[in-house]
Order: sequence, then C-alpha cells, then structure tokens
Amino acid sequence: MSTTVVKGLDEKGHRINSMDFELLVREAAQTTNQIRLETYGQHNIGIRLSHEDGLTIDTQGPSGQRLGCMGMPGTSITCHGAASDDVGYLNIGAEITVLGDATNGVCNAMANGKVFVGGSIGARGLTMTKWNPDYDKPELWVLGSCGDSFAEFNCGGIAVVCGVEAKNPNNVLGYRPCVGMVGGIIYFRGPIDDSYSKTNAKLSQPDDEQWQWLTGQMSEFLTKIGRSELLEHLTIREEWQTLNTITPQERALMFSGPMPMAQFRNQHWNKDLGGDPLRDLSPGLDRSPIEAVPTGDLRRKVPYWANRESAAPCTYYCPVHIPTVDRLRLIREGQIDEAYEMLLNYTPLPGSVCGAICPNLCMQNCSRSGVDESIDIQLLGRSVAHVPSPVMAESSGRKVAIIGGGPAGMNTAWQLAHAGIEAHIFEKDQQIGGKLAQVIPWERLSQAIWDQEIKRFTETKNIHINLGVDLDQAQFKEIEAEFDYVVVAVGTHQPRKIPFPGHEKVIAALDFLKNAKSDQPKQIGKEVVIIGAGNVGCDVACEAYRLGAENVTLVDIQKPLAFGNEKEAAEALGAQFRWPVMTKEVTDEGLVMDTGEVIPAQTVIISIGDVPALKFLPEDVETLTVGGAAWIKTDAGHLTSNSKVLAVGDVEKPGLATHALGAGKTAADYIIAQFKGQDWKPFTKEVITQQALTITHYVPDDHADIHTEEAQAKSCLSCAACRDCHLCETICPTGAISRRELEYSHQSGYESGLGGGYEYVSDDKKCIACGFCADTCPCGIWMIRPL
Amino acid sequence: MVSARSIPVAPGSLSYTDLPWIVQHREDRCTLCGQCTAVCPKEAIYLAYRRQRMPKLDVLKKSRGNEYRTFVGIRQKTSMANACIGCSMCSMVCPNEAIMPVPNTNEHRTLFFNNQKGEPNKRGGRRNVTGPTLLDQIMFDRISMLTDPALDAGRHEFNVTTTLGRILDPAEYLKRQREGGWIPPTREIFPFIIGSMSFGALSPNMWLGLLQGVAYCNEVLGIPVVIGTGEGGCPPWVLKSPYLKYIILQIASGYFGWDEIIRAIPDMKCNPAAIEIKYGQGAKPGDGGLLMWYKVSKLIARLRGVPEGVDLPSPPVHQTLYSIEESVMKMIQTLSTAFDHKVPIYPKISASTSAKSVLNNLVRNPYAGGLLIDGIDGGTGAAYNVSMDATGHPIASCVRECYLDLIAQGKQNELPIFAAGGVGKNGNVAQNGMALVMLGASGVHIGKYIMQAAAGCLGNEKNRCNVCNVGICPKGITSQNPKLYRRLNPDLVAERVAEIYMSINTEIKKIMAPLGRSQSLPIGMSDALGIADKAAADRLHIKYVC
Repeated sequence: MSTTVVKGLDEKGHRINSMDFELLVREAAQTTNQIRLETYGQHNIGIRLSHEDGLTIDTQGPSGQRLGCMGMPGTSITCHGAASDDVGYLNIGAEITVLGDATNGVCNAMANGKVFVGGSIGARGLTMTKWNPDYDKPELWVLGSCGDSFAEFNCGGIAVVCGVEAKNPNNVLGYRPCVGMVGGIIYFRGPIDDSYSKTNAKLSQPDDEQWQWLTGQMSEFLTKIGRSELLEHLTIREEWQTLNTITPQERALMFSGPMPMAQFRNQHWNKDLGGDPLRDLSPGLDRSPIEAVPTGDLRRKVPYWANRESAAPCTYYCPVHIPTVDRLRLIREGQIDEAYEMLLNYTPLPGSVCGAICPNLCMQNCSRSGVDESIDIQLLGRSVAHVPSPVMAESSGRKVAIIGGGPAGMNTAWQLAHAGIEAHIFEKDQQIGGKLAQVIPWERLSQAIWDQEIKRFTETKNIHINLGVDLDQAQFKEIEAEFDYVVVAVGTHQPRKIPFPGHEKVIAALDFLKNAKSDQPKQIGKEVVIIGAGNVGCDVACEAYRLGAENVTLVDIQKPLAFGNEKEAAEALGAQFRWPVMTKEVTDEGLVMDTGEVIPAQTVIISIGDVPALKFLPEDVETLTVGGAAWIKTDAGHLTSNSKVLAVGDVEKPGLATHALGAGKTAADYIIAQFKGQDWKPFTKEVITQQALTITHYVPDDHADIHTEEAQAKSCLSCAACRDCHLCETICPTGAISRRELEYSHQSGYESGLGGGYEYVSDDKKCIACGFCADTCPCGIWMIRPL
Repeated sequence: MVSARSIPVAPGSLSYTDLPWIVQHREDRCTLCGQCTAVCPKEAIYLAYRRQRMPKLDVLKKSRGNEYRTFVGIRQKTSMANACIGCSMCSMVCPNEAIMPVPNTNEHRTLFFNNQKGEPNKRGGRRNVTGPTLLDQIMFDRISMLTDPALDAGRHEFNVTTTLGRILDPAEYLKRQREGGWIPPTREIFPFIIGSMSFGALSPNMWLGLLQGVAYCNEVLGIPVVIGTGEGGCPPWVLKSPYLKYIILQIASGYFGWDEIIRAIPDMKCNPAAIEIKYGQGAKPGDGGLLMWYKVSKLIARLRGVPEGVDLPSPPVHQTLYSIEESVMKMIQTLSTAFDHKVPIYPKISASTSAKSVLNNLVRNPYAGGLLIDGIDGGTGAAYNVSMDATGHPIASCVRECYLDLIAQGKQNELPIFAAGGVGKNGNVAQNGMALVMLGASGVHIGKYIMQAAAGCLGNEKNRCNVCNVGICPKGITSQNPKLYRRLNPDLVAERVAEIYMSINTEIKKIMAPLGRSQSLPIGMSDALGIADKAAADRLHIKYVC
C-alpha cells in the first residue's frame, strides 16, 4: 500500500482545525496503513486509529497535544520533532516515538503500549498509568531526563530514563517522583535529589532478570530514536538504579515511620539524655513494662492467712470470752473430755450460768443464724455441770482474799486456784453463790445443777471459804495486810427505795426474793403490785404467783425494760404490765397513782435495783457516785485506786451474772500476771465481720431441731478459726495456695485439738491476688491486704 | 428453709441497679481464672457464692423438704467506694468474654451520693457532655472546584506550620534589623501542640513516652511538634538535653519544679520552645491546679520540692499578682529576661467573657509572645465536678471574638492566639483544630485527645473511668504507682504519638487542599467555614449553610 500524505494547512495556507484534521486522517486510515502527516499543531493525532494490517503514522512538523492519544494496538506513531503535552494519553497499545523532547504529562493514564522519547520529558510523566494483567505493562523510554512529579500514582508503567543529555544533569527524575506509586518500576541512570516518596518507592539496583530485560530492550529503543551508537554507553550495569514500588503490606511493616521506635530509643533518646532521664530524681527506678495481672512484688495486694487473729462472735460477745468455737471444734475432733476441760478453764458455773440463767450474749450474734439457727449454747453449758473439776496447780503459797462469794468472787477464786494461788473467800451469808443462790427462783436455775456446781467449787483445791463474815473497816485493813491482794466482790445488797408516803409498807424485791427462796417463806396477799418492771421485777412476779398471789401487776414510770425468759415467764403466769405509772403513795388499799387511781394490793414490792453496801471499804479505795449510790472505781484490770485492792462484779456497775464471771476472770488474770511478773494484756481481738465469712457454703439444716453436742459441733461455722476444709486450695486459680504441716508444741490436752499443727500459705510467685481465697474462705481467715 | 437475712437499709444503701455501670457476668463462660478481680482498679467485683433453694413441690408425692444448689459468679459491690467505673479492664483481661460493664441506662443513684463525708465529687476527665460539639458541626465549605489551582494533599507540598511568638509589623521589623533592635523570638511549630499535662498528673512512663514521641516527630518525621510540661516541673536531665527545644515550660501559681529549672539554666544545651504562664485552665476556671495526695509519690515530691503524700492544690491566682498589668509586667518580663529574651513567653487563661481584656493588654506588651485560651471542654487530672461541668466558656466564640478584636486593631498577624479545650473530644482532632484555626487561632493544644489516642485512656464523657485524680488509672497513664504505670510501655506511647501526628499532618492537608491553600495555615480564613446553625453562624461571623 502506498503512503498517504495528509497536510495540516489548507490550500490557502490556513491551519486546518483539529476536528477537521482528525476526520481527514481517519479517512486516510481507511484506505491505507501508511500515513504521513504534515501537522501544524493539531491535537489528538492518531486518536483511536488502527488498521487490520497495522498502521504507521509519521508526523512531520509541529505536533499538538495528546499525540497518540487513545492509541490502539498495532499502530505506531513517530513524531520527528518535539511533542506537546500528554503524549500517549490513555494509550492502550500504540507504539509512539518522539524524536525530540516531550512536554508535560507523557503517558498520562496509559495502560498498554510504548512511548519512546529521544529527548527529555516535562513534568508529571508516567502519571496514572494502568496495567491490565491480560496485556503487557506500558513502557516509557526517555533518553534524557524527567521533569518534576514523575510517576505519580504510577500503577503499572515501566520507565527507563537514560540520563543522556539530561535537561537537569543533577537530577534526572525531577523533584518528588513516585508519589502515590502503587506499581511498576523505574530504571534510571544518573543522579537524583533523593526527594522520591519514601513511603511509595524504594531505591535499588536492577537484579539479573531486570538487567537482562533492560539490555534486551535497549537496542530497540535506541534504534527507534536513531541513537544506536549509545548502546555500549548505556549498558554499564553499575550506572543503573531502580525505584521499586513498596507494597501496602511492606508499608505496614515499616511501622509508624521510617525508623523503628526501638532504634530511635537506642540511638537517639538514650544517647541524647545520657541514660534514664530520671536517674538523679529516683536512682534505680525500674519503669520497664509489666503485665496487667502480675505476680510477686508487682501485685497491688496480697492474700494473708489471718487464722485466729480476730474473734468469733461467740467468743467476742461473751463477757468471759469463752471460745465456744474452739469447744465445738474439739467435739468435732472427738476430744469431748478436752472440750469440757477447756470450758471449765473459763468458768466454774457453766451449767448454772451458760446453761440456765444467762441470756447468752454469745449466741445473739452467732453466724450460724445466717444459715438456720444459732448454736444451742444452753445445751452445751448444762452438759458440763457434772464434769469434775480440772486438776489444779499446787499451791504456790500466794494468797488472795476475796470479799464476797457471788459469781464474780467465785470465778476470781476459781481462776486463782487453777494457777496455784490460794483463794480465801469471805462471805457474809451462810452460803456462797450470791444472788444466784439467794434470789434466782429455782424455776429458772435447776437446784440439782446448782448444787452439783457448788459442790465442785467448794471441793476444789486452793479455795478456802469463810461464811458469815461481815467485815468492818478495821477487819478489812487486817486482811489487806495479811493477803497479797484483796478482791472486793460484794455485789449490791442494799435495795433502792423511794420515800413516798407509805414506803415503809413496801417490801424490797431483794428481801422478798431471798425470803421466797428460804425454807419458810412468808405469806403474801392475793393482789400484788410490783414497782419496777425489769427482769428482777419479773422474777418477783413469778415468785409471788408461786407463793399464792392471784393478781400481779408490774408498774413502771417508763416502758418496761424486762426481756427474754424472765418476761415471758411472768407474762405466762398472768402478770400485767402498766406504764407509765407514777406512785403517789402506798396505802393499805394498795398503790395510789398520781392520777388518784388505786391499784388494789395487799402486798407492794419495789424492784428498782440494789446498790453496794460499802461500809467496810477504806478511804483509799475511790468510789464514784451514780444515782445516789457509791460504786467502786476500777481500771480495765479491775484494779482500784489502792494497788492491792481489786473490785469485780456488780460493785463496779450492775450487770449480768456472766459480766460478774468475766470480771472475776479478768481480775484473776491480772493478779496471776503480776505474780508471774508478766504484763497483763486485756482481750483485744476484734470480732470477725459477717462479710468476711462465706456462709453460703452451708446448707440450711431442715432437722436443726436435733439438739446434741455433736449436732451443734457440726453446725458451727468456725468463725475466724481455720477449719482445714481445703476450699482455698481448691478455688485458687493459679494453684498458689497449699497446706503446710507445722511443728506444734501441744501434743496433748485441749490445745492439741485447736488446729495449731498446720497453716495454709500462698506462693507469691504464683498468686495474682484475685482475692478468690478471701471470697471463698468459709471461716473468714484469708484476707486481702494492700502490698 | 432460707435464712432470714437482716438487711439494714440506710439512706445511702444502693443496689446494683443504682450504680452507673452494671457488671454483666456470664457464668456459663467464666473459667474462674481470677484475672478480672485481680485487675479491677476499684475492687468493685468479687467471687460470690450463691445458694439456691429448690423446694420439693411434687403434689403427688409425700416427700417434702428442700434441696440446695450452690453456684459461683463474679458480682459487683454496691458501696460508693467500690462502685464500678466502667473502665472494662475486666473485659480486657477476661480470656472468655465472660464479663463486661454496661452503662446503666436508667438514671443512677450514685449521682446523689458522690459527696461522701461532705466532700463534693472530684474527678478527672472533662465536662460530661456527650454528642457532637460545636466544632464538630463546622464544615469547610469553600472548595476549589476548578476555580483555583487544584491542590492534592498527597502530592503537593504544604507548609502547615504556625508561628509561636510575637511577629513585628514589617516596618518595625526592618527598622529594628537596621538599627540592631530586639527582635522578639518566634518558633515555627506544628499547629497541634501537646497541651500542658504535668509530670505528676501524668505518670513518668506517660510523660516521657509523649516526649519521646515528640522527639521522634521532630527528628525522624520532620514534624515540628512541641509539648507543654504543665506545672509539675521537668526532670533535670530532660532540661539539659537537646529535647528542651521541643518543650514549652509552664510556670503556674504552684511554682512546682521551678527551682530545678532555674538550677539547670546554665547547663541547658538549647532554649525551650516557649514559656507558658498559666493563669487559668478551661476545665476549672478560677480554680487552681490540684494534685491529690494519692499521686504525690517520692519521685513527684522530689521533683516538685514538696513533702511526700500531701495534697498539692495550687492557688487560683498567682499569690502576689493583683492585676493584668502587674501580671504582665512582672511575669512575662522576668521570664523573658531569664532566657535572654530569646524564648517566646505567653500566658494561658481560661476562656471567659473577660478574655479580651487580657488580650488587649498583651497586644500592648512588647514582651508577650501570644495568648493561649482554654475552653470549657478542656480536660484535667483532678477538679471538682461542678467546676468541670458547669464553670467556663466554650472555646469557639471566645477565640473568635478575640481574633476579630485583633483584626479591628490590625494586629491579627502579630500576636498569635492559641486555642484549647475539647479539640478532638469526639475523635475529630484535625477537623476541630482546623475549624479553630480558621476562626482565628494560630494553633491548638490537645491533651485529653492525646491521652486517649496515644495511651488508650479509657475515660469518656459518660463518666467512664475518670479516676485520674486518685491515682488508680488502670492504663497507667495518670498513676504514680509503678505497679500501674509500668503497664504503659513508653515506646508504644511514642509510636502512637508518631502515628497520630503523621495522620494529623495528612488530615490538615486534606482540609487545606480543597481550600486551594498550601503555603500557609489558613488562620482566620473564616470564609471557608459554614455551619447549619443560624445562631452559631451569626455569633461566629461565619456562613449559615443548610
């Protein structure tokens, strides 16, 4: 086929516009595959032109913009001079050769084909190229250099920049090439300014395969642009470098910047600061990273096994601090005799007090009541009544005088006798036991138990009892001189009275009760009024009924203070409570109220308390006047202002029998400590809190009404005393807790049954201080403390 | 039978449904590993044993009685002292996704009891107001659509730095150059400054991690970030390091750590970036700094020059300064002299209706290098809740008024205003900051955002966590207990700082490019701002768009 020439100027020498020129070229391409164009700056030359036998377009003269635009495969276009912008724009396969320079935008959005440039190119070359994997990658060959912003967003284009006769010999790739480049490769020869986008491209040398490709293609390029003589000059491998694409995956690995932080810390931070910046403020401070849940010293808290460091409620609230929890443990261990022995170490009257008349403060806070019912302490008390006295120590020769043989004096003597100290009781009455013996009705205190316990007491070694001794000051002084200590335990045996008219007709409750309990009680009226509706008043009411009264009324100026067994017993017998009642006078008709109303009575008894009778007391024992009566002032060890005289029981302040027993034990402990030359220590344990225990482990007993010592022992929650259940060991998620056997001095006796032969320990290396041990421990032993 | 539990009910008795966060625990997933109870900063949860009664209720059988089932689970405590704060550390350490706190959607009763022992609620964090802020609502609406040269954030070069320090007017500048007069110092810095959080408010690992990140931004990334010290002083070895040039030293009414700073002056290798004189703070205007005793560790006490374990309240005002004039005279001049007049000195005040008075005084003070205004949404390590929630002034209109005032005097290019308080509150840090820049700020300070983004601070405006004041920060950001702050790896904080600034740097460009702006920060370019709120638009002198 022949070459068709299309001219860019019309016959008149005017420029043909690009639209008409393109029509002419297209027509020519339909008839021939060899076209020569004499262009005059027309744009879009060769746009989407092809021929089935391949199309060759030669352009002479000035070329307009977008030469080879949308070039088709099989078409080759040669421009014999320089070309304007966007050579090869959206080219999908044409081979375009520009023998001179090309301006901006060469290969913009080219997807396939090749562009050969015999000179240099302007800015923004090889931008937005594409690569469809079904076709070859687009190629741009430049003999000279590139302008700025080269290969931006390059997606598949291969560029070869030879750096020959470069426009800028110091920087053949221009300023900031490769921004946003995601594919392709740039081969270049000559210097660059290092401004390429470091997050998109990395500098390298062509590998063997790449070099083979480059040298293989180089001669074709040089032939196209007519510079074959340069082949040897352009195939010196050391002179070539490449800019390869960084993949997003590689970029992700580059981490937060071009330098790894560890490297920055080592090479800059530590060096510039000369070491740890806090080394002067806090030498040796370890700030190295740790886990959120550490072990060892890095824990914020640690478990602590506080076995027996606090008191069970039974022990704490009992004024004698009898460790019922220990007793029940001994029963569980099968050490029944030791359990009895232990209790008798605390009180001579377990059957009479714990088992009968005591309101049992110990059990008012029993933790078991959170599960079903509290321990039956009365049962436990009664069961000791028949047990013989424990072995007493041999007398040491020390002597203590005890004035008064009531519960306070008795327990003082009992405790001293145990320790081998001779206890000499001086009792005014003809029997010991104080008000328990004199006034408590037998209905509330079984005589059989009482007699048994009194017998056990009186037969005990080191206890000497003198009955019917009514002391005066001079005798007291003699005793004080003769004995190491004197303990005043005279109680309150002087009834309070009120001087309203007719008060001489009124019987004191104390006298009434003593009389009622005597062998020949006096007659009383059918109607009885009792002034003062406390628990003693209730005892009076019961005794009055027993002695033949038919109608008993208890009056008080305030709401009656009576509670518990006493009140229930009186009410059961029919006693009436009236309040507020102000007594105006007592006549033969009965009690006259300030309102004028008369409560008929043949017998009126006043029960508003008793006060101490202290005529024997020397002046150096200070007293305190409260409510018109004198009470002996004591300290925590029951010592009075006279360092040889102690006082215990109601004579200090009115209380329960168990308070008197407690005071007696404390005073004896104080004296024993003095004799041994030891410091006396009061009971200071805190009561364990309900929250510390985990009572949910226990299931309510539907048969809690079976009252045996063994059943009670089974019910005990063992508050504050480890019961060796291994639950902590089991729940510990890190296996830190284990049980360890201990050397233990008590191989026999009741101490041997109290669990002193082992401990649970937590391994600091394993423990994470989760607190599960404390949350699980049924006894409240494990606790979590700050570290 | 079931035990008759005796439950005393007091006015302050709370059940778990009264708490702000309810701990949901799935017994079917729990492996009883103890991690959650070990990690909980409030000791709010514990292993609970529960007993269930199952009565035998078969009507046709004679057998009666009960059976019992005991089961375990993690339960929460209901005391105020142990109320869950929603930090979710339990969820973080749980291997089985068995536990998580969920916000109580009912109003919760602890709101009425967080004044135990007569002490009003104190906390860390910032104003507990959720939802989009005004800054979040501002749009950059003036886009170059073929009307200007199109800019590409990814490709073109941008100059996004700002000037800290006083800029002389050109005539005066040339005159002084000619005559050898004093030319006030300036710094070209990145417009997002890490705001003042003291060494003490922050843990050592957090404070040093941030500084390490700032150093990295400058030296590796070439982003000229600067960081404020807060009023807790600065470790001497840092003062003597080349990193001092990235640090704004703060002097506040507590004067903590200034003896060490003055002592270090002869050994300084470079000047600090600036000196910030704190007169006020957005989170608690009119109230001074507060470092509660929990956080005054031996280290902090040593640096601050105070006894260990004491409360450190700073007075609301500098004790011997009684007027703006006097403050400016005494403090700005003294501090400028201390550094040979080579360091910009600027005051920081709470946003307030009185901000313009301060500004106008500074305009006339030749030593003043700028003004930082901190708005109501600013964060703090410790403040009374009522100060944080109810006291203060939002930043946007305050900055805008001040800037317009400068314009009226023709001084808008001379005294830079910096803004702070709630920038990035909802995560839109670049957008918030650039909105303030276009309203007239030369740059913004970010504190809480940095804690959240760089160190994973769990606090939010639903009052999650916010226990910075008592030193039990579960991430170790604001604790002085090494057992807590060692959870925080300073390297990782520094890495996050770098990532954050790389990202803000790009976002600034993404905001600037459509405006057709690349060579200077668009300070006061309010024609590019729009908001779909007529009242706000009028107040801010920007466009109302809808």
